[in-house]
Amino acid sequence: MLTIDALKQFGADTDDGLSRCMGNETFYFKLIGKVVDDKNFKALEDAVAAKDLAAAFDAAHSLKGVLGNLALTPVYEPVYEITELLRARSDIDYSPYLKAISEKRAELAGLIG
Amino acid sequence: MNRSTDFYVDGKRHILVADDEMINRELLENILCDEYDVLMAEDGEMAYDVIKENRNTLSLILLDLMMPKLNGLDLLPRLKEDPDLKGIPVIVLTSDQASEVESLKRGAADFIPKPYPQPDVIKARISRSIELAEDRQIISATERDELTGLYSSEYFYRYGEQFDKYHPDSDMDALCLDVNHFHIVNERFGMAKGDEILKRIADCLTKTFPASDCVICRKTADTFLVYCSHRDDYTSITDKMSEVCGDMPTSVRLRIGVYAYCDKKLDIRSRFDRAKIAADLIRNNYSVFVSMFDEKLMEKELFAEQLVDEFPKALAEKQFKVFFQPKFNITGDKPVLSSAEALVRWFHPTLGMISPGRFIQLFEEDGLIAQLDEYIWRSAAETIADWKNRLGISVPVSVNLSRAEMYDPALVETFDKITSEYGITPEDIYLEITESAYVRDSDQIVDRVKELRDHGFFIEMDDFGSGYSSLNMISELPIDALKLDMMFIRNAFDKINDTRMISIVIDIADYLGVPVIAEGVETEEQYLALKKLGCTIIQGYYFSKPVPADEFERFLTEKGS
Repeated sequence: MLTIDALKQFGADTDDGLSRCMGNETFYFKLIGKVVDDKNFKALEDAVAAKDLAAAFDAAHSLKGVLGNLALTPVYEPVYEITELLRARSDIDYSPYLKAISEKRAELAGLIG
Repeated sequence: MNRSTDFYVDGKRHILVADDEMINRELLENILCDEYDVLMAEDGEMAYDVIKENRNTLSLILLDLMMPKLNGLDLLPRLKEDPDLKGIPVIVLTSDQASEVESLKRGAADFIPKPYPQPDVIKARISRSIELAEDRQIISATERDELTGLYSSEYFYRYGEQFDKYHPDSDMDALCLDVNHFHIVNERFGMAKGDEILKRIADCLTKTFPASDCVICRKTADTFLVYCSHRDDYTSITDKMSEVCGDMPTSVRLRIGVYAYCDKKLDIRSRFDRAKIAADLIRNNYSVFVSMFDEKLMEKELFAEQLVDEFPKALAEKQFKVFFQPKFNITGDKPVLSSAEALVRWFHPTLGMISPGRFIQLFEEDGLIAQLDEYIWRSAAETIADWKNRLGISVPVSVNLSRAEMYDPALVETFDKITSEYGITPEDIYLEITESAYVRDSDQIVDRVKELRDHGFFIEMDDFGSGYSSLNMISELPIDALKLDMMFIRNAFDKINDTRMISIVIDIADYLGVPVIAEGVETEEQYLALKKLGCTIIQGYYFSKPVPADEFERFLTEKGS
């Protein structure tokens, strides 16, 4: 069961996120429930595996926007970093970033229960 | 004040949110839904479609720059280059500062960064952009007619559409108002008086049709359009108009064409086309001032248009079939087949069989008849040749000529060509020329008919009695048979049971030394009476309806045996 306290503990800026939801907690939780299943998480991993950096950037960029709007800082931060690297098409090993994203996403999913 | 804002009293302004991320769309919708009607699009192409469809009611577009199919940065210039769409303000949604400047350069009104700022900030930016865009619209010079202060037509149509959007359930009427003979007013009393009259009418219209449920414009010189909630009485309005111009040096009378209970699926301009059709119906009628559009009238016009449009294809695909109706000589003991008349039928792939009554006159008006007639002449010639060659029987077939064709200097040549091409003779083909063709320009027509006769063609004067040939002229006409108008038969037997007129025509034919052909004969009673009166040849359902060539062969073989 998702709660504001749990999200705060997780590191989300719930005041910020809630304000974008016009203070409606139920709505906020509903959107968080949706974002953990966002298809772009998988799209990002697949594109990186296929070395399609342009597609990986698109997926990361989309995720960044949504996570930012919901103020899910712990997931947002690694997504933000990978987005910037992908924007520059950096030829690096992306797996640590993917791992960080995956872990934080799992943690968030755990909060939802 | 800006009329467009009046329309939002009952409804909300429309905003499109175009973003491929559902969560972003939902966030914005949740923020905006209290104040606006929010439309959604999840990619650039869908956004473009929604924008085009709602171009007249959309107040603002929130556009994500990175979207599948068509990204926002490419959609922006497309919107700004389209005169219909460029007035709608666009706010871009972006997380990249570099794109902010680029999108402003491409015509965006503003940008909203991601993550989104506080809802109040978003709302304020949206409201500001809409306000700016609407203000810009107000000061546009072409919005109003200078003389009357009413809307110009372009704005009128837009506001009409907006009105519909916010009052979807109102029954609306489209009116087209014209001043009877206004050009004479200008001519007789000068432009200044004319302008004064137009201003008074405009004032009166504004008072009669309140802005709360009506939109008014001056379309052109003396034509006004009104889009208003349904009213039952428009006659009192024309009276009122005449009243306000009571002190003018001439009486002013308005005629109103009304398309009541508009079909809102119809484009708004078409609704006023209908009102105009209604108004034009009473153009020269000085006792009727209000004319209601009649759906049947339109259906008839549309049907006619469809037939004209599809004519070339129908001709190419041989959808026209020539049927033959036998004519019998009844002077002997037994009726004997003497000839046939070629009559066209249109077998339309979707409309089925269309009778010539529905298209011949139409094609005469549109000048298509020449092509159709030549097609019929050729089909008839082909059939005549076929019967001759295959069955060894020759029966003349008459074909119809239209009035316009009588002016064609190459007419005789055309028939000579057809007969020689199909290996038949002029005696095989009879020409039916309607009486009314002789009436105007009779010298020219008579010369053409003489020419045809000189080439051996047999001329039947069709529909005799329906035109107004002078008896004096008839004696000089080059004809070989008189074909009695069908109305004679109908009147003689159906209504007054008086065959005296038929006897007179038969006497005329006797005097000219030509046979009389009666068509439209349907009963034995008619047949016997006509026989008794001395009619030579009979055609009609009593013997046979028009039938296809192969069915007609039964008459030929009967005759042959």
